[in-house]
Amino acid sequence: MFEMGGGVEVKGGKKTKKEKKKERLEGVKKEMDIDDHEIPIEDLEQRYNTNVTTGMTSTFARQVLERDGPNELKPPKGTPEYVKFARQLAGGLQCLMWVAAAICFIAFGIELARGNFTCFDNLYLAITLIAVVVVTGCFGYYQEFKSTNIIASFKNLVPQQALVIRDGRKDTISAKELVVGDLVEVKGGDRIPADIRIITAQSCKVDNSSLTGESEPQTRSPECTHENPMETKNIAFFSTTVLEGVATGVIINTGDRTIIGRIATLASGVGNEKTPIAIEIEHFVDIIAGLAIFFGFTFFVVALFIGYSFLEAMIYFMAIVVAYVPEGLLATVTVCLSLTAKRLARKNCVVKNLEAVETLGSTSVICSDKTGTLTQNRMTVAHLWFDNHVHSADTTEDQSGQSFDQSSETWRSLARVAGLCNRAIFRPDQEGIPIPRRTVVGDASETALLKFTELTIGNIEQYRNRFKKVAELPFNSTNKFALSIHELEDPLDLRYLLVMKGAPERILERCSTILIKGQELPLDEQWTEAFQTAYMDLGGLGERVLGFCNIYLNEKEFPRGFSFDPDELNFTTSNLCFCGLVSMIDPPRATVPDAVMKCRTAGIRVVMVTGDHPITAKAIAANVGIISEGSETVEDIAIRKRIPVERVNPREARACVINGGQLKDMSSDELDDALRNHPEMVFARTSPQQKLIIVESCQRLGSIVAVTGDGVNDSPALKKADIGIAMGIAGSDAAKNAADMILLDDNFASIVTGVEQGRLIFDNLKKSIAYTLTKNIPELTPYLIYITCSIPLPLGCITILFIELATDIYPSVSLAYEKAESDIMNLKPRNPRRDRLVNESLAVYSYFQIGAIQSFAGFTDYFTAMAQEGWFPLLCIGLRGNWEDTHLQDMQDSYGQEWSFSQRLYQQYTCYTVFFVSIEICQISDVLIRKTRRLSVFTQGFFRNKVLMSAIVFQILLGNLLCYCPGMPNIFNFMPIRGQWWAVPIPYGILIFVYDEIRKLGVRRAPGSWWDQELYY
Amino acid sequence: MSANKDADGGWKTFVWNSERREFLGRTGSSWFKIFLFYVIFYGCLAGIFIGTIQALLLTLSNYKPTYQDRVAPPGLSHTPRSLKHEISFNINDATTYTQYTSAITEFLKPYADEPQKDESKFEDCGEQADTYKMRGDLEPDVLGARKTCRFSKTWLGACSGATDDTYGFKEGKPCLIVKLNRIVYFLPRPPISNGSLPAAVNLNPNLIPIHCNNRRTGEQLGEVKYFGFGGGFPLQYYPYYGKLLQPQYLQPLVAIQFSNITLNEDIRIECKVFGGNIDYSEKDRYQGRFDVKLIISS
Repeated sequence: MFEMGGGVEVKGGKKTKKEKKKERLEGVKKEMDIDDHEIPIEDLEQRYNTNVTTGMTSTFARQVLERDGPNELKPPKGTPEYVKFARQLAGGLQCLMWVAAAICFIAFGIELARGNFTCFDNLYLAITLIAVVVVTGCFGYYQEFKSTNIIASFKNLVPQQALVIRDGRKDTISAKELVVGDLVEVKGGDRIPADIRIITAQSCKVDNSSLTGESEPQTRSPECTHENPMETKNIAFFSTTVLEGVATGVIINTGDRTIIGRIATLASGVGNEKTPIAIEIEHFVDIIAGLAIFFGFTFFVVALFIGYSFLEAMIYFMAIVVAYVPEGLLATVTVCLSLTAKRLARKNCVVKNLEAVETLGSTSVICSDKTGTLTQNRMTVAHLWFDNHVHSADTTEDQSGQSFDQSSETWRSLARVAGLCNRAIFRPDQEGIPIPRRTVVGDASETALLKFTELTIGNIEQYRNRFKKVAELPFNSTNKFALSIHELEDPLDLRYLLVMKGAPERILERCSTILIKGQELPLDEQWTEAFQTAYMDLGGLGERVLGFCNIYLNEKEFPRGFSFDPDELNFTTSNLCFCGLVSMIDPPRATVPDAVMKCRTAGIRVVMVTGDHPITAKAIAANVGIISEGSETVEDIAIRKRIPVERVNPREARACVINGGQLKDMSSDELDDALRNHPEMVFARTSPQQKLIIVESCQRLGSIVAVTGDGVNDSPALKKADIGIAMGIAGSDAAKNAADMILLDDNFASIVTGVEQGRLIFDNLKKSIAYTLTKNIPELTPYLIYITCSIPLPLGCITILFIELATDIYPSVSLAYEKAESDIMNLKPRNPRRDRLVNESLAVYSYFQIGAIQSFAGFTDYFTAMAQEGWFPLLCIGLRGNWEDTHLQDMQDSYGQEWSFSQRLYQQYTCYTVFFVSIEICQISDVLIRKTRRLSVFTQGFFRNKVLMSAIVFQILLGNLLCYCPGMPNIFNFMPIRGQWWAVPIPYGILIFVYDEIRKLGVRRAPGSWWDQELYY
Repeated sequence: MSANKDADGGWKTFVWNSERREFLGRTGSSWFKIFLFYVIFYGCLAGIFIGTIQALLLTLSNYKPTYQDRVAPPGLSHTPRSLKHEISFNINDATTYTQYTSAITEFLKPYADEPQKDESKFEDCGEQADTYKMRGDLEPDVLGARKTCRFSKTWLGACSGATDDTYGFKEGKPCLIVKLNRIVYFLPRPPISNGSLPAAVNLNPNLIPIHCNNRRTGEQLGEVKYFGFGGGFPLQYYPYYGKLLQPQYLQPLVAIQFSNITLNEDIRIECKVFGGNIDYSEKDRYQGRFDVKLIISS
């Protein structure tokens, strides 16, 4: 009942928020409603006071520049450095420490007001607390500063140039100086300098992948083909690249007013989510604060009851609350996180925000962009169909995969067509670079074919030289084919060879024979059907299919020197011989399927969110395992069962492909339902806003969402995600700015490493915190006993600070090096509502069990040291009044000996030291038991964690230094103590170890039992 | 146990969830179990603790302190006590010094003749400084309780209170009664050479001499009179056998009278005992010495 009520309420609350967001998104969309692409050129000229042949006048351009400002994206309003620093000082733990410091100052003030000028402990404590916050703040700030620098170094510093026509003259100027109305000329290889309306174009193609995620080149031409500016062909967008061809256009938007600029602004408008670790730490601070106030109040009442004055009781209250603050914890958490950040950096994940390290570990959904993240962002030949068989080509980045059988005659012909009928060429001087990575001038599919032929038949340039080209017809969208005519390499053979490639159905139309195993066979019904099946199959894989054919031209009809006119087609272009099909795709990265698999076993759902076409998206998803084998979409089931889509029960379908159009019509509840019901999701043709909506929907379902992406279009989603992961090489600046983490090698598999490290650090932080919290009790109980039983103070404030900030820091950090207890990558991601960093059983076990044992150890040692020096335990009780009387110089001990005040004080320091040593000894035992939460320490390997071992040695050495270094008594209140006082707490240390082993044994033996529930943390 | 708390976040339901009959997130039986667990747990711990302390007490002697490194070398304490290292009074106003004089009276009570009558407990050790008077080991053997040397307050002369119950305070010639803090079985050794001693101190092989001086030059301390065993602590009163074996032990005293001190001025006085095993410490102002500021106004 309760839950339902709560659920409804939550949804209601979110809805209003969502509506607001929608309004804002709607606003952004509205802004995009421009008609610059629809109006006639003349109107455009008038609107921007320009001319489509001579351009603007430079004087007017200058005016416009003054009005609109330079054509560049305003760097996202970077957080000012002081705000960044202040943020480091304002976390949950930091706030706790600020409050504690304030309380210390108040207590100190009260002491001063009461005329006690000797007690500076509170002041020291306050100063130390502030120092700890500031120092760790500086440390964290420095870490972030460093990773920001790494990221900044990626920025492209070369200023962009643009070819502009002004006053009728062509001129190269810096792209920054372009203004609306400028006439610019772009050619293959250029970056488009602003949003432009195309005026003229010659086979111009652009790569919009950074904007929309489509890996296919888009044709740009002067006609307006769509009312939506995003879809129309006559607008080219800022920061996309021209792949081939040339175009001129009039600038219609510059700088932040471009589409890219607007998306970037959208990203900066998206609020950052609180990291899970920050939430955990706040929860933990709540626990601490609650316990502190509970304890403080209890003893406040007790103190009043005993007969202390109100003011004294108040001071005790404050002291207890402050004593509960784990001073060392902040440093421990910061260091542990930065250690992991460092470890990740070595594995090519740079973390911008330390806390993001852990976020990856709690991630339950990864929304991954396709292009460039899952795929190589490089068209590659994937399949060939010849001899009536589909052959798979090697699509791996490093050509380590299997190749196909190349012995067939048909293959030779096919390769020849692919090699010759191809205008793409390598840029010169790239001999050292592996073929797949060489840069090519040419469109994507020709590039793919060029690389493919270069790989399979060797140096294609020489090959082409052997077949002299006499004529060619480049690909155009009306013909949908390209052809070229070559002389043969055999000088005696005077025939010409015509090679042609193009859209498979167009090619097939022109063929009358088909080449099978080197034999030309008539292209009958049977072969046509085989062709159709193959074509459908390859198309169904989301691949772009091209058909290839050739013919030897009759030497009588076309003798040497015949003038071929490609425009008139004065030669045979029918009854050709079909060679085969080649299909291309932007193939997934080799490491991705494995990484996706690992994510799955780790209980992480990988959702593909792409701007690309549904078929391609689905094919890649199936390829990398996002849609697993055997999973079907509703449509698949419909086809299999031969029933209409509407009659399929959507719950039967594991997989689901939703495209942007469908998404637009879905309510947020429907989207939630879809995400809930289909474990395998692919979103295609999504806009940046829709990516944002998908991320929000996942978060609404309680998931911790990681988003990967590289394009500008991903940046709002990256920002919105719990952790945004941008690609370091392919990523745009906008994406990197919005992300929390950057993969320097663009490798999706690095995310898996990140997840593993994140989970490990969560586990290990838990251990570190448990370790750090434990000693709070032995630090607090002396004070409580001091108040209630009036014994001489067993443990001083400075000593506590030494434990917290010196001796115990290294061991607590060393737990960060602990190996995982079990295979953490086989577990489900933690449930952020249930699996807390610090839960009650952790606090209770640390405080009231291990902490209690440590307290007893300390008191045993304390009473031993007192008794051996002449103060018997029973005498100690109630001793405090005289003991602390500075004027009493002859106080009698149990033997009747008289002690001066200073002698008593040094005895008190001895007690401090003895108590300190006891805590240290017990903490050594504590750090050993904290190595594991469930397994026996012996299974985990007692000495395996070398850092931990050295930490223990360090702890002992530092303890000895503090005890025996001359001068310590008067500076830090440490006294050289007798050897046997080190030994007194050892039995308690052993007790801790044995008790914890018993606890773990019980937890392992009886899972789910009372013991497990109460004692497993 | 916290799932419920997180689920609806209501404090009221957390404190008392009537549906699940849970108080603070636990049902009655759950509370009982955890309570029982902690009773047993702490019971065992307390048992171990008490056992350890008992074992510790077994190793301790009631007569001989295990270690004395913190209490020795002895401190030098004076009566009346100073307040913030100063003794100030007005000779014309008795209320300003009665607290001091009554402290001395109180302190000297055991040194009266009356309490020292019991021959089974006290013995005379002569009025001249003599060597240590050993009374056996620090064990409760056949000797039983040890006798104590008598010390009569009359030996303190002008500071005994016999003639002047204000111990010189009303005349501006205040007395300080000084004692060396007692330490079980401690044998103070007289100074070996007189090289380091002030000239005024006479060397006696059976006496731990005491000497007072003004701390700052230029102050007028005037004459200082020492009463009792010629300005020192005689050795026959040592060693001390502890509270159990020598419950009525009387330490030797030295009374110091500042008989010609400048009035209406801050005078800082330092008194020091000298001995082979007497030490001074920068940090401990009462180890083997003390200093006090006398402000006597008239």
